[in-house]
Amino acid sequence: MDEIGGIYQMIVRVGDHAFHFNLSVIGMTWIVIALLLFFGYMATRQRHILPHTLQVVGELIISQFYSLTESALGKEKAKIYAPLVVALFMFLLFSNWIGALPHMSEPTTDLNTTLGLGFMGFFLAHYAGIRSKGFKGYIKNYFEPIAFMMPMNLIGELAKVISISFRLFGNMMGGSIIILVVSYLTYSLVLPPFLYAFFSLFIGSIQAFVFTMLTIVYIAVQVE
Amino acid sequence: MGIEGADLIVAATYIGAGIAMGLGAIGPGVGQGMVGAKACEAIGKNPSEAALLTRTMLVGQAVAESTGIYSLVIAMLLIFVV
Repeated sequence: MDEIGGIYQMIVRVGDHAFHFNLSVIGMTWIVIALLLFFGYMATRQRHILPHTLQVVGELIISQFYSLTESALGKEKAKIYAPLVVALFMFLLFSNWIGALPHMSEPTTDLNTTLGLGFMGFFLAHYAGIRSKGFKGYIKNYFEPIAFMMPMNLIGELAKVISISFRLFGNMMGGSIIILVVSYLTYSLVLPPFLYAFFSLFIGSIQAFVFTMLTIVYIAVQVE
Repeated sequence: MGIEGADLIVAATYIGAGIAMGLGAIGPGVGQGMVGAKACEAIGKNPSEAALLTRTMLVGQAVAESTGIYSLVIAMLLIFVV
């Protein structure tokens, strides 16, 4: 039961300041990136009008998310933002699924990963808002219905980042803790595979989809 | 051997984690149940749209779950960090 709280950290001291690196999370993220690159290479190799298996999977995901983005942002903006949305979804899907493999842990069980992705969506949404409405229109958005509501709108924007990243982190972390506790209670007999199937594969794909959908919605709210 | 302040803090964190999780699970339970019930009604009225309705229901439930997840995060903070 000791593994729950334990994190392998590399501490580098530069002057008075100590930088902490979570090595397992960094390694897992790199493994996920390598898997994604491998998937992309395999899916686009030998492209043909009669697609092979992996090409079908890739085309399915890409066309689904292009149509989702088009319905939220319109056709022209979808061309700009859809590749990022697809990449975000694929990264989250692979990083949630990788926990089902032995000796692997999800990068999303670390709050740093999800908070980083949440802030990426936040800055992207506000950049899109400034670009589509101009700086004046963007600032004016905060003083909607009346000028008095400005602090509320500001807190609302920041709360979006917290809510989106804590949702993903809590789901993945809670799932892995439940798996660990049940494995400990049943001496790792019979039950854990089903729990992995439920928490890692099912909840993982739903949460990856929800995270991506909410990022699209936040961009759409700023662009409107 | 009396009860000291440190013991009280440990006891209070566990009680607080239990209360946070238990009370926080009420809202998502009710919300997810309502989403599921309405989805069942809609599928009963319109069975040909079952796939779309199921997908929408799952996403809605995942969003409704988030307050429960926040209380889970609070409970984990109380147990592992405090």
